[in-house]
Amino acid sequence: MATLAASPPAPAAPPAATAAPATGGCAHCGAPATSSVDGLAFCCTGCAVVYRAIRTAGLDAYYQVRDQALPARVTDRAYDELDDDAFRRLHVRDRADGARAVTLYLEDLRCAGCVWLVESTPSIVPGVVDVRVDVGRGRCDLVFRPDAVPLSTIARHLDSLGHPVHPYRGADRDGARRKDDRAMLLRMGVAGAGFGNLMLLAIGLYGGWFTGMAADERALFRWASMLIAVPTIGFGAVPLFRTAIAALRARRAHVDVPLALGIAVGLVWGSVNVVLDAGEIYFDSLAMLTFLLLVSRWIVSRSHRKAAAAAELLWALTPRRARRVGADGAVTEVPIEAVAVGDRLRVRAGEAMPVDGVVVDGRSSVDAAILTGESRPLAIGVGDAVCAGTTNLGAPIDLTATAVGEATRVGALVRHVEELSTRKAAIERLVDKVAGRFVFVVLTLAVITTLAWGGTTGVEHAMSLLVVTCPCALALATPLAVTVALGRAATSGVLIKGADALERLATPGRVVLDKTGTLTKGEPSVVTWHGPADVRGWVAVAERGSAHPLARALAAKAPEVTASVADHVELRGAGLTATVAGHALAIGAPRWVGHAVDLAPIADALAAIVGRAETPIAIAVDGVAVAAAGITDPLRPGAAAAIARLRALGWTPEILSGDDPAVVAAVAAELGGLPHRGGVSPEAKLAHVEAARAGGPVVMIGDGVNDAAALAAATAGIAVAGAAEVAVEAADVYVRTPDLDAIVHTLAGAQATMATIRRNLRVSLFYNSIGGALAIAGLIHPLLAAVMMPLSSLSVLGSSLRSRAFRTTP
Amino acid sequence: MTTLYLILILALGGAALAVAAFAWTVRSGQLDDLDTPPRRILNDELRVNRPVDDAATPP
Repeated sequence: MATLAASPPAPAAPPAATAAPATGGCAHCGAPATSSVDGLAFCCTGCAVVYRAIRTAGLDAYYQVRDQALPARVTDRAYDELDDDAFRRLHVRDRADGARAVTLYLEDLRCAGCVWLVESTPSIVPGVVDVRVDVGRGRCDLVFRPDAVPLSTIARHLDSLGHPVHPYRGADRDGARRKDDRAMLLRMGVAGAGFGNLMLLAIGLYGGWFTGMAADERALFRWASMLIAVPTIGFGAVPLFRTAIAALRARRAHVDVPLALGIAVGLVWGSVNVVLDAGEIYFDSLAMLTFLLLVSRWIVSRSHRKAAAAAELLWALTPRRARRVGADGAVTEVPIEAVAVGDRLRVRAGEAMPVDGVVVDGRSSVDAAILTGESRPLAIGVGDAVCAGTTNLGAPIDLTATAVGEATRVGALVRHVEELSTRKAAIERLVDKVAGRFVFVVLTLAVITTLAWGGTTGVEHAMSLLVVTCPCALALATPLAVTVALGRAATSGVLIKGADALERLATPGRVVLDKTGTLTKGEPSVVTWHGPADVRGWVAVAERGSAHPLARALAAKAPEVTASVADHVELRGAGLTATVAGHALAIGAPRWVGHAVDLAPIADALAAIVGRAETPIAIAVDGVAVAAAGITDPLRPGAAAAIARLRALGWTPEILSGDDPAVVAAVAAELGGLPHRGGVSPEAKLAHVEAARAGGPVVMIGDGVNDAAALAAATAGIAVAGAAEVAVEAADVYVRTPDLDAIVHTLAGAQATMATIRRNLRVSLFYNSIGGALAIAGLIHPLLAAVMMPLSSLSVLGSSLRSRAFRTTP
Repeated sequence: MTTLYLILILALGGAALAVAAFAWTVRSGQLDDLDTPPRRILNDELRVNRPVDDAATPP
């Protein structure tokens, strides 16, 4: 889809040997580095592993072709289960030439660079015959020789490149989808070919109308037009006829009813006229209309697929089989459908949890990144709850199933997203309603026209009325505007899940902001320093070895000092002591430093720091308190301006955060006194949002797992970059850059899109009124119809493309 | 006039062939994945940097 493909590849990085990007940042992804390995800086272990693997395999060219640089993730799993007979029976196909084929799901397949990394496997791992990936589905079709290389080795190679491997479960669904997609493409192609050829014939006929044409040539062209039009338009419009008939049966209004009516009447009446060699034919207009409709629906269906794909991949990660432990202790492998709540299941290391459950035996750790975004393994023991789809990393565990299938958290999320993507926006329902009245009005007018003119002339005029008022532009108005908006939004890093989300973002109300991440930088830094400058340098040197966020703040932005560090001792939750340049330093929470030294010299400074809701740090040198530092998460530059723009758009911003009330109050004051509440629990957030909804639209912005419920409960939820998977799924919008500007951009874009849709509807109804009036008056000519019908569709297209929505990047 | 008949048949025959060819590309799955090939084409000139030897097999 254009949304993803449109992002141009980044300019080629320097040649391979010096490909390490962005000096100062992570050598692999360019993010702020926190550690260094072999003289290269990295932001995380994942990046370090992947960088080394890429270098070792000679795949340096990756850095030239990739168009997205993101931190890499590796799992360090052994993948022994892939060599298992059970896995082989389920997923691996033997081929006639002795090789085996398997379809895998790879995480994080995103860009041209990933395609190259994965598809070059045959020249790096001997025994791999062929690898093809499908970026959109995260699917990888692999052919290998089992006598030369075990599947687990290939999987470890792919994992080391930053693409953790899972069995691919979506094959059945892919098959069904593929059938639909191919049928749609074929109808589009046939209708397009018919349209093109009919136009050529129509030019001849219209030319003849102006310059004169032999009667037999005219008949020939009309017969040829009919022979092309009836099969191509008939074939192309089958889906339209189907929905129209279904809507009529269910007595529902649907925009396909007037469309199908216009096309059917046009085809039949045109054919009658060809056979009788009298009257007009409208085949060229009908063919264009059918073709345009099919193209727009194909584009819309593709963008829907994209929205649902992410959630389905989550689903694809949950296993299809489970090991059930019987009452006698015997373990049997059963299909996941056979597992019931209360069953005892065994999950081996490296496997994904098949169900939601509670651990009843064993200790291990889980990787719950797919649900929480938290990449650190979580320790679990007896009594802890685990979720389907998370991976058991450590040792075998037994669990009792508490929820299976669609009742699991993953299942609920997938269902939720599927509902979201198929739900019709109110504006689309409005179009259906308009179309319902439209049919009624047009049919009434047709009857009146027939009676008023009387005889063949009456029928002729009524038929042309039905054809020229076929509301192509009405049917195109919403999908075109929405698709253009979603496409542009996606290229500027805003992913919106469907038309109704856009619509719900368009009516201004309250914006509930989660402080961390959206308003502040998200990384603490030293904002107050009270004490001698050389001590600041020593502190930075002493803290350099620590991974604690506050230590990282203290180590950064300090004067460069070369000093030796010795006796580095770190106390969790307190601080550290070290000997720097011969001086004994104690750095940490005032309470802890105060145990050993008198804090009186810096008491005033500390009080001022606490007063500004900064985190205080006391520093003692050789047993004397000499310096104090205040650390806080500073506001993003431009946050205040963004708040002002929000207000200008008609929104009322407020802060609702789980952070310390004093800190929240300080941020709110700095932004000009926003309404605020700190220390809010997830349940209280949900209650607040639900209460606020009674007073009008509420847009919730959040990133944490704790925000997910509130995001779903709000009129529209926006998840920001770095958000947990659950939050992303629960939200209607995902914004890739974590600042407020992108959110303002989204809200403004949604308003502009709705304005465009309304303009489109007006334009299409305007053209139809004129066409209808001319037809009733008997003044319409097929040439005029042929000009007016595309003109109305093109006006709608032009209006959609001209829309200001999401025009500029945030 | 006779030429017109001939040309019309030839032209329509050509169009029918094009439609048949399109139907074949759709049915044979060449248009199933529209996302990956435009990225893959960027990689045609890239080469793995180093000759392969058995010791390069990853762990």
